[in-house]
Amino acid sequence: MLEQLLIFTRGGLILWTCKELGNALRGSPIDTLIRSCLLEERSGAASFNYDAPGTAYTLKWTFHNELGLVFVAVYQRILHLLYVDDLLAMVKREFSEIYDPKKTVYSDFDDIFRQLRKEAEARAEEIKKAKQVDKPVSNNMGNDSGDGDDNVKVRKLEAHSKGSFVANRNAPAKGIANGKENGSSNNGAFDVNKLQKLRAKGGKKTDTIVNKVPKVETKKKITKKNRVWDDSPKESKLDFTDPVSENGDENIQIVAADEGESMMDKEEIISSESESEEDEDEEAEKGTKVETKKKGWFSSMFQSIAGKANLEKADLEPALRALKDRLMTKNVAEEIAEKLCESVAASLEGKKLGSFTRISSTVQAAMEEALVRILTPRRSIDILRDVHASKEQRKPYVVVFVGVNGVGKSTNLAKVAYWLQQHDVNVMMAACDTFRSGAVEQLRTHARRLQIPIFEKGYEKDPAIVAKEAIQEATRNGSDVVLVDTAGRMQDNEPLMRALSKLIHVNSPDLVLFVGEALVGNDAVDQLSKFNQKLGELSPSASPRLIDGILLTKFDTIDDKVGAALSMVYISGAPVMFVGCGQSYTDLKKLNVKSIVKTLLK
Amino acid sequence: MDTDKAEQLKAELQQWFNQAEQLIRQIPPNQLYAAVGIVLLTVFVFILVRVFKRTISNTVVLTGLSGSGKTTLFYQLRDGSSHQGTVTSMEPNESTFVLHSETSKKGKIKPVHIVDVPGHSRLRSKLDEFLPQAAGVVFVVDALEFLPNSRAASEYLYDILTKASVVKKKIPLLILCNKVDKASAHTREFIRKQLEKEIDKLRASRTALSAADITNEFTLGVPGETFAFSLCHNKVTVAEASGLTGDISQLEQFIREHVEP
Repeated sequence: MLEQLLIFTRGGLILWTCKELGNALRGSPIDTLIRSCLLEERSGAASFNYDAPGTAYTLKWTFHNELGLVFVAVYQRILHLLYVDDLLAMVKREFSEIYDPKKTVYSDFDDIFRQLRKEAEARAEEIKKAKQVDKPVSNNMGNDSGDGDDNVKVRKLEAHSKGSFVANRNAPAKGIANGKENGSSNNGAFDVNKLQKLRAKGGKKTDTIVNKVPKVETKKKITKKNRVWDDSPKESKLDFTDPVSENGDENIQIVAADEGESMMDKEEIISSESESEEDEDEEAEKGTKVETKKKGWFSSMFQSIAGKANLEKADLEPALRALKDRLMTKNVAEEIAEKLCESVAASLEGKKLGSFTRISSTVQAAMEEALVRILTPRRSIDILRDVHASKEQRKPYVVVFVGVNGVGKSTNLAKVAYWLQQHDVNVMMAACDTFRSGAVEQLRTHARRLQIPIFEKGYEKDPAIVAKEAIQEATRNGSDVVLVDTAGRMQDNEPLMRALSKLIHVNSPDLVLFVGEALVGNDAVDQLSKFNQKLGELSPSASPRLIDGILLTKFDTIDDKVGAALSMVYISGAPVMFVGCGQSYTDLKKLNVKSIVKTLLK
Repeated sequence: MDTDKAEQLKAELQQWFNQAEQLIRQIPPNQLYAAVGIVLLTVFVFILVRVFKRTISNTVVLTGLSGSGKTTLFYQLRDGSSHQGTVTSMEPNESTFVLHSETSKKGKIKPVHIVDVPGHSRLRSKLDEFLPQAAGVVFVVDALEFLPNSRAASEYLYDILTKASVVKKKIPLLILCNKVDKASAHTREFIRKQLEKEIDKLRASRTALSAADITNEFTLGVPGETFAFSLCHNKVTVAEASGLTGDISQLEQFIREHVEP
């Protein structure tokens, strides 16, 4: 049974709710749907799951883009209702006929809705019945006599309905008849359903068995063996940290690195718009010309002047496909481009095309708006403000840098430290990469050049404990910010992800920064989603910390293939807080949303 | 060769001019003067309309954080009731109408153009479309859930107060504490003091980013003194309202003050 069906405008006013289904919804599923799905450009998805204490809802929606209306149906997740999509489509059709922008009360829609719901339920029952009739009839043998009676009844009713009843009454009559039939056929087909369930359960069991085996294996593998590449004798000593480093210092001239203003503080000069617009038009024209032949071109020109009635999905197809290809050439992950195009299609379907506008330009404008909306951060990324807030509470602001191997965590950690230092913030580094040879020395060199304290415990120590002690040290000596460097790890590596999750859980940092390189392609989606998933799953606490921000590195190596930024932001919802664009201390920038969108759509 | 061509062109142009003169001479002078007069008049009217549009603006912008009650207030102003409730807005609501409470008054009342801008952070850019033409801005604050959102509210308020269009045109701002019908709502004095304190802190951290902070175009108040709304160039007042019950008299007063009736 439906929990609720709402109709509201895009401006936020609820126009109609079903009064028969009077149950108040627990939590605020509609607001959550809008904030985390529709405004995040995921409106192409099929449904949205909402969990609140005590309930689990599924929400399905549809838009009427021309009138600016949204239709949402809410139902319990355990009931897999089949008729919701049909019902939403029918409700949309009927409501758009009686909609008037001035009217705000639609009480006459109650009756129409009741009827539509019965129709939809009846249709769903029919489809279900049709599916069950195909099943082996042997189970129905026992109930044949019962079925026979019902069949006769149905035929009689049908005959009557054709003759004397009004066409409208067909639906309820059929509904009742189908209900009775279903009752009996349910008894008979129950065994078939049971069989299916058992089959599904069996499948699940084999899945769990398969999962258990590798888990047991990895548990055995906890103690890491030294890697032996060839027949060379085993190395007994791994920790090569220089015990005489104190004496070595005096010989080297240490000058605090001062390379000028960090690029974070420099204004970006945006190039003139005229050039890019010309390119845009050329590309767009090429796109349409490639897709359509001569006749198609003429009709599209005619349509653009006359203004076609409504945009259909088929019309949007070619323009969207061209746009998707363009995004993919800019290194946006394939499934992200796909989802984005679906979302834009959902928001444009049914809209009236203005005269003198081509379909491609409408689609382009919609896509540009969607991209700006995704890349605009959802919360403030003012780190300095957060640092000041932590300072008042006399706690250090802890930032943890996570990511896969070789993306530039240590380098960019130093850049962030340089920038913070330029703004009179006391920074401390924590060397929690206790695995890679030279990681601690690398950080030590940076610390020496920037003249900031570093907390290190050498190699082969537990990173979580090192981080904890580093934070305690920072509280003691009054550092405002602690930057924690971790070892690079692949997102599939279960024990390493578990160690990371433990580090984050034990130390509860203020900012978990995922460092990703801009060169990555489709793997960005996998990396981020697996990182978030593992951090969520493996954390022992009830509300686990996920990735709060993204640091995009190696931005200077890609010319205009900036798509990785979009993929990462879309899949994780976290804003891009810094962009690393070089290998010296000053090469750290903020993300310029407008220029990225322009480059993506060029 | 080139000079020959140039001379040929000149000769042709001369011929053209002569022909045109003859044609014009043929038209009776009255008609000519009438045609020219009409063209001049239309141009004049266009200029007038443009100039007038700029000086008189009847737009009031409702803004604030998501969930503070802007859409409810919008419908209260327009229809006198909040109908069946609201959800998070995805698009601005705008409409020109006579305030509902004044529909019963006699005489000609000028309609007001009210715009309700969504408060969701991803839709903040829509505010910039409407601010330049605003005669007044209402910043709606949720008096019930004020403390958890005080930082976000003060950041948004700071951004608005430092926008070029607001400072240069000295657009008056009303801080409206909404949901005061609930018992645990904070008082307007408390909210005002909290906002002033938060903005003071923001001033310190934002000016630390100094010349490179491209987002904030102006600074607020006097450096060294604690911030108070009375130090702003534009007029800032605080009022109370309740969207659900319809108690919006102070809001309507503000609107009437700044939009000529």
